[in-house]
Amino acid sequence: MFWRIFWHLLGASRARLALALVTLASGAAITSALLNIDLDAERKLTREFRTLGANVVVAPPSESSEAALVDAAAMDRIAALRSRLLSVAAPYLYIAASAGPQPVILAGTWFDQVSKMNSWWKVDGNWITARDDRSQCLVGRIAARQLGLAPGSLVELRAGDHKISLRVAGIVTAGSAEDNQILTSLAVAQELAGLPGRLSLIQLSVAGTPIEIEAFMSRLAGVLPGLDVRPVRQLAAAEGSLLARIRGLIFWTMLLILTLTTLGVLASMAALAMERSRDVGLMKALGGSVRRIMRLFRTEAGALGLLGGTIGFVAGVILARWVGGRVFGVAISPRWEVFPVTVALSVGVALAGAFPLRLLGRVRPAEILRGE
Amino acid sequence: MMAPLVQVEHLEKRFGSVRALDGVSFMVEAGEWIAIMGPSGSGKTTLINILGGLDRPSAGRVIVDGLEISEHSEQELTRYRAEKIGFIFQQFHLVPYLTALENVMLAQYFHSLTDENEAAEALKRVGLDGRSTHLPSQLSGGEQQRVAIARALINHPKLILADEPTGNLDEANEVIVLNLLRGLHRAGHTILVVTHSQAIGNLADRRIELEHGRLARIAIATGARNAVARPQT
Repeated sequence: MFWRIFWHLLGASRARLALALVTLASGAAITSALLNIDLDAERKLTREFRTLGANVVVAPPSESSEAALVDAAAMDRIAALRSRLLSVAAPYLYIAASAGPQPVILAGTWFDQVSKMNSWWKVDGNWITARDDRSQCLVGRIAARQLGLAPGSLVELRAGDHKISLRVAGIVTAGSAEDNQILTSLAVAQELAGLPGRLSLIQLSVAGTPIEIEAFMSRLAGVLPGLDVRPVRQLAAAEGSLLARIRGLIFWTMLLILTLTTLGVLASMAALAMERSRDVGLMKALGGSVRRIMRLFRTEAGALGLLGGTIGFVAGVILARWVGGRVFGVAISPRWEVFPVTVALSVGVALAGAFPLRLLGRVRPAEILRGE
Repeated sequence: MMAPLVQVEHLEKRFGSVRALDGVSFMVEAGEWIAIMGPSGSGKTTLINILGGLDRPSAGRVIVDGLEISEHSEQELTRYRAEKIGFIFQQFHLVPYLTALENVMLAQYFHSLTDENEAAEALKRVGLDGRSTHLPSQLSGGEQQRVAIARALINHPKLILADEPTGNLDEANEVIVLNLLRGLHRAGHTILVVTHSQAIGNLADRRIELEHGRLARIAIATGARNAVARPQT
């Protein structure tokens, strides 16, 4: 009999219940979308941050002398880790050189890795794609202005007794120290400095969550004894801070949405409670206990929450994909663990919104049946 | 000697400064048909509501089937209504979205377990065997009241309380409903009917007449229609 009354009850109030269902499904859709985005944001943001350059640096210990260098064999050890987290590893050897009469910092590196790691650099001219290009160099924007260089110019570099003449392939605008430097291949820098097989440091771009990056750094420190493995603090802090802000924004938006949804359901249920007060008065007059009558309404609210949550989850996944496409340029993948959370929140909101129906338990049958 | 089914002693009900019932006392034996009469505002409905456990007295005692319901908690009153009372209202008060059969089964559901066959049988007894799947809106006033009577009887209550049961019916349906009540009386049911109608009052074993919340008189109708009993003090 419970289910007979229940189905009739749903049918009798379908307009108001449909309104409550739409409210719940809308709230659940936004909640589901936000939860999906929240869970995927870390992965997506981390990927975005990897295009912003290195986030891990391997260098001689900071307390050692400035002349201390890294053995180039460290690059082989890093490669031997075969970690899926390691996106790019670029060795650097910094030497003091001169271009004609002017002193200049020369950075020897692997061009192919540098271009991958710093895809956001603006280059006037061409990138150099060959790792060990011995005929060309890239010149930082400020250094190029001071030396009067442009793409296609020739520049003679000298360090001690060694010298080499290179063609300028491109002028780099990096917004960092590279703007004052000349970038050559690692081999060229090592020859000029007379330091074969030596490096100043290694820059790494490591993908993954902060916890994964931390674990990778520990592994790296294990295979590179005597070297410092440290994060690029500014980037890590910016990433952490941005993630925390996004998480905070998502949490407060969700709370606001759930509150508004509860208020919307409350409004529908308050109207429903007015409609049902006579029926409840009659049921009580016939000997219906408050517990038994309320079980009907609680089941109704629970079913609404369940249905609203399920519809909302599906709509939320679609919404998250769309938002992901707009914000991150790639669709957010649906996360199934969001489903039970969305449904549970929706059921909770429906039960909280059904508060006016619970007040019907206080209806005095004599007053209702008198028509008061 | 058997104890009376209903015992009302010095019953008072106040709504603010208004005394709806003022020191009413009477007894009803099992199997009696009592008509509660009096002008509007005399306290008839208040009395029947208190007897049915829908309202609480301000003072006095009400004992039904050995239970002092004036002392009952809200939960106990709910069980009392489900187990001891069958209500018939002037406005029928059927649940609009349940069929005739389900309206009868609703009382069974709140009492204990539902039995569809028994509910169908109850509808048959009131002449509605072909109407069990109809909604109240698809039934005439007389038919709705007969559904309400079937509902009132389904749990075999000790006491049937009817508040103006023919007040909203035309003459033909009034006759049908009164015949049903007569049949119930003959079958041994105890019935208290609130009515304005002198004709219905004359069908009862006794008439309890109220005026301004006080018991004006108790008139014995059946077998001694002219005899008038003075109110108990």
